[in-house]
Amino acid sequence: MQLAAAAPLVGGPGDQPSYRVVTRFQPAAKPGMPGPYPGRVVRVHAERSIDPQTDAVNREVVRQMLAAGMQSLTGERRPADAWARFIAPQDVVGIKVNCSGAPQIRSSPEVVAGIVENVMAVGVPAKQIYVYERFADQMQSVNYPSYLPAGVSVVAAEGKLQRGTVLGYDPRTYVETSFFGEDDTRSNLVRLISDSLTKIIDVPNAKEHQASGVTGCLKNISYGNFSNVARSHEKEKTFTYSFIGTLAAVEPVHSRVVLNIMDGLAGVWHAGPFSQNRRFRFYPKQLWFGTDPVAMDHKLIDLIEAKRKAEGAISIFDQSRAHLGDNRDPNFNRYIREPGHVEYASKLGLGVFDAAKIKVQEIEL
Amino acid sequence: MMLLMLAVLPGLFWEEPPDSAAALREAGIVSARVPPAQLEAWKQAGQLSVEAADVRNAVKVPPPGVQYRPNEASATHSPWLIASGWRFLRNPRGSFLYDARGAQVALAAAEAFCFGANALVRADRAGLKPFAEMLDFLRGLGENTGPPVADIGFIDDGSGAAGEVMNLMVRNNLLFQVFARPPRPADARLKLMVQLGSREFPLEDAKNPGMTAHEVRAKLTDEKRSIRIYGSAVVVARLTVLPDGIRVHLLNYAGGERKVDGLRVRVLGQYAKHRLAAAGSPQEELLDYTAEADATEFTLPELKTYAVVDLSR
Repeated sequence: MQLAAAAPLVGGPGDQPSYRVVTRFQPAAKPGMPGPYPGRVVRVHAERSIDPQTDAVNREVVRQMLAAGMQSLTGERRPADAWARFIAPQDVVGIKVNCSGAPQIRSSPEVVAGIVENVMAVGVPAKQIYVYERFADQMQSVNYPSYLPAGVSVVAAEGKLQRGTVLGYDPRTYVETSFFGEDDTRSNLVRLISDSLTKIIDVPNAKEHQASGVTGCLKNISYGNFSNVARSHEKEKTFTYSFIGTLAAVEPVHSRVVLNIMDGLAGVWHAGPFSQNRRFRFYPKQLWFGTDPVAMDHKLIDLIEAKRKAEGAISIFDQSRAHLGDNRDPNFNRYIREPGHVEYASKLGLGVFDAAKIKVQEIEL
Repeated sequence: MMLLMLAVLPGLFWEEPPDSAAALREAGIVSARVPPAQLEAWKQAGQLSVEAADVRNAVKVPPPGVQYRPNEASATHSPWLIASGWRFLRNPRGSFLYDARGAQVALAAAEAFCFGANALVRADRAGLKPFAEMLDFLRGLGENTGPPVADIGFIDDGSGAAGEVMNLMVRNNLLFQVFARPPRPADARLKLMVQLGSREFPLEDAKNPGMTAHEVRAKLTDEKRSIRIYGSAVVVARLTVLPDGIRVHLLNYAGGERKVDGLRVRVLGQYAKHRLAAAGSPQEELLDYTAEADATEFTLPELKTYAVVDLSR
């Protein structure tokens, strides 16, 4: 078994803990992140993509957005060729959705269905496609199967009545650390990834997050792919600053996440990742495309900050204890947010954070 | 001298009159302890093997279980385990009495057995069948095992603070042996000695037993812990020595209400062979078994109340 690090589990840089990464997987020759397009973000906006009054998503418009985004990212003229840059017919493809805000905010089933159509068009059989999440109860509230072709699997690592079970996770791939003296010090990788998947498509939402500042590409493939991660928050303190990037950089996640498609049809600008208060929901009506999760999440920070500024809310970088409190008021929060986790991830080789080096291409449909 | 862990079977303490014998037999109970005043009547009825038990001097212990306290502010998210292991370790020659109900009865019997305690369980009728089934399981575990494994020597001054630190160490799976005074010569098997009031563990700090237990863990280090449990905060583990290996005891303190779905266990030492016995899950097998140079690991797919894994080389 390969130990990527075997340091004692105390005392990391600054107030960050030390992490012990245990994995038997080697990096791919060309890891999926930051992939072939570091520092690139393609944003497709379509006014007709979602109806903010009803939350109804226009499936046909979403198809057009997916085609335009993928063609623009890759420079290919045909969508199938664009998808074939990342996926081959023999691949077993995982689509990592985000249902932490479900049923109100989640990876839209229309977007997921559109991705599945394209993956199948490359030649991947339905039985080699998995739409997955950590928690079955959240996932079931979205009802993905009714949008997907027969044969596509919709699976969760933890069953509705089995929250906390270790059985859906790989016992030999984990990150070990102790944040607050908890006795269970391991966070294990979703077993489906270790055992089956050869490629992962990351489909997060555009959301503010009470602990990490934003929850986008990086958080969806880190906290969304490993067990026992909520232990990184206690009272107002959170270790998301270093834990998110550390998890995302673990092999085989680092190598197998080959594409990020952010569902920004609807978003959350406060009190995320949940969306119980409609007041904090907004509608960018966008899909974002890229292989660099750091660059995409940097732009997500910009999006959330702009929306919060327009709403008169404090910045997500505000770490004043005076603003700790009841988050029904957008100027208060339960945790000291750590949006710096995005820049931290760039130092682990996951992507480009420097704003001057990020190129955004805007497409209007 | 380290005490051997005797595989004492817990007994049923039954206060109903002899006309309740049919209910006991139906549940699978073949012997019971009864109040001395009822002994003759029970013997005349002749339907069960009975002995008198005077429980007036027995130490009353609470039925094992879990208190989930989601709405209560605390220093930890962990549920509060009601566990008596520390009482048994502090007083290995004591006699103990549980008052338990229903499925709790089986867990009480398992806890007493696991810690080698001389205990009776006063049960209600709903607890008779669970008790009989657990007793069958415990009988099937075979001969007495050797001494418990301890990483820590704990000097017990008899104080309440020491008792609470021991309670937390049991619940946190920090394996310790109790001493009245520091052993002379020092016991080389122990990796850490803990004495409240010493320079390393000041009495002032012991006012917060949770912090002291954390300090003990930090000084021992996780790497040196003979057993680690991943995937559950309600399982207490214990190790005892076997002639050719080690026995892992796993107690699910929520077992009266819910099973644990999946538990990862790490034991120091390389053990190539294993044998599992899990109460209520006779067909169960260990998953993802690995025996590497420094440690052996396995996953138990489910833990209802009590399971024993014998590891050997």
